[in-house]
Amino acid sequence: MTGDVALAVAIVVLVALYVTWTAGRLDRMHARVDAAWAGLDAQLVRRAAAARSLLPHLPPGAEAAAVDERAIAALAAGEHGREAVENALTRALRAAVGRLPRTPAAEVALTELDAASTRVGLARSFHNSAVTDTRALRRRRLPRLLRLAGHRAMPSFFDVDDTAILPPW
Amino acid sequence: MRVGLVCPYTWDVPGGVQAHVRDLAECLIEMGHQVSVLAPVDEADEADLPAYLVPAGRTVPVPYNGSVARLCFGPVSLTRTRRWLRKGRFDVLHLHEPTVPSLSMLACFAARGSMVATFHTATARSRALQVFGTTLQPGLEKITGRIAVSPAARRVVVEHLGHDAVLVPNGVYVDRFAGAPPLDGLPAGPRLVFLGRIDEPRKGLSVLLEALPAIAARVPDVQLLVAGPGDVDDVRDDVDPRVTDRVHLLGLVSEADKPRVYASGDLYVAPNTHGESFGIVLIEAMATGTPVVASDLPAFRRVLDDGEAGALFPVGDAEALAASVVALLLDGERRRQLSVAASRVVQAYDWHHVARQVVEVYETVAAAAPVELDETADEPDVEDFGQEDDPGRVSEALRRWLAVVRERVAP
Repeated sequence: MTGDVALAVAIVVLVALYVTWTAGRLDRMHARVDAAWAGLDAQLVRRAAAARSLLPHLPPGAEAAAVDERAIAALAAGEHGREAVENALTRALRAAVGRLPRTPAAEVALTELDAASTRVGLARSFHNSAVTDTRALRRRRLPRLLRLAGHRAMPSFFDVDDTAILPPW
Repeated sequence: MRVGLVCPYTWDVPGGVQAHVRDLAECLIEMGHQVSVLAPVDEADEADLPAYLVPAGRTVPVPYNGSVARLCFGPVSLTRTRRWLRKGRFDVLHLHEPTVPSLSMLACFAARGSMVATFHTATARSRALQVFGTTLQPGLEKITGRIAVSPAARRVVVEHLGHDAVLVPNGVYVDRFAGAPPLDGLPAGPRLVFLGRIDEPRKGLSVLLEALPAIAARVPDVQLLVAGPGDVDDVRDDVDPRVTDRVHLLGLVSEADKPRVYASGDLYVAPNTHGESFGIVLIEAMATGTPVVASDLPAFRRVLDDGEAGALFPVGDAEALAASVVALLLDGERRRQLSVAASRVVQAYDWHHVARQVVEVYETVAAAAPVELDETADEPDVEDFGQEDDPGRVSEALRRWLAVVRERVAP
């Protein structure tokens, strides 16, 4: 009898420990996603700023206007609809770099854009890796059943074209 | 940027990961970053260690991944790791091989914040990964950015740990190797060079020794220079009696002499049988301008640009090795071509280039929180005594304990 009670208590304690541990783990993972998003956001802003610093070197025209408009849109964008805004900026940049004159100043601006794009790629990879981990854990039975994630939204992947933007020269 | 690097293997034994950590640390310091390296130290005097190194205790030998790894774990190492993390206040913690149950894993468990991990191993069937892969997954989830040194290493990360990793290759200080003079007092005749642990089967010295009589039959005055730590007598027993006088065992060579060893060869031979993730030795040899003959491992094939920058032979095939070496020793023009192609290839692996890519990863990751102790994994630090290298501390701790006991017994 006492043996049964002891066993039941032991099981309850173990389950409680496991649930607490999983909840803590989930919390840390969400924090990692938030941090990764903050990092990605910073790099996207840096890229938009780098895009705008190309403007003085671009001949006036439709391409330059498109870069300006979309860079400003990217700087203003929140988390919602960000992918579309960033892809639009990438397309505008691709169309514009062809018109960039090969001057030392333009090359400096382009190097900065390239550095920013590389970091967007890295930050995106790290962000998506954090999202993968979190989603995998949240889809497991126990966290779902006990709603261990609370009210936090399921984190989503961030997918944009961040391949290098290169001038024809 | 304040960077904390963790090396899981003994600092005072030469090895690929150790060299990588050392070179990366020195390159980062040169670039103006503040760097501290935490690594196990077995034998070396504190005075011989570089200023950036913090010893984390001694290691235990464990058979791992086809050879003996000296790993570091236990309460003393954990305490030292926690102390190092607390003092370091790092912007980024960079762990090397965190799947190996050693210091990097301890640091990963003990810390939180911006963490980068570099995966070196390309051995998919590594026992540690199989055993620990799933169990320790939660601990490794904290890592923010993952780097793999080769596509093979990246595949291990993706398939066994379910993560993605960015590719940043191993580095070599190309300018330290280029133009190194050959060693003094070398034996006359065409020279082959082997460098690596001589008692480690996967480095493949036995394949080369097996091929040597066939090579000597075609190139009678051929000489073989063998450099690297290990039991010299065991190797002597392996040498065919007909070619004993051709094998020159140099033993462990200093870092400073390594470029000269490569430069002493007409050919550098890498007969590795498996377990090689990257082939840093190849790049070092290539940087000195010595043409390379290597076994056809995926990592070697990649570094040698599919055979454009060095000759390849089937893994473990002594006959093919002999044929390849003989053909090259008889063809000076081909050796020159390989050497030219190689010096072009190695530029991409120069540390100054590679470290910049690593810093890009740091900067991306460090946008998150700085590194601190993970208080959810908190436990009291153990008293740091019981290390044999520290007799003063042990007796001091005993004296304190005796004083406490005496106080309680005699009022």
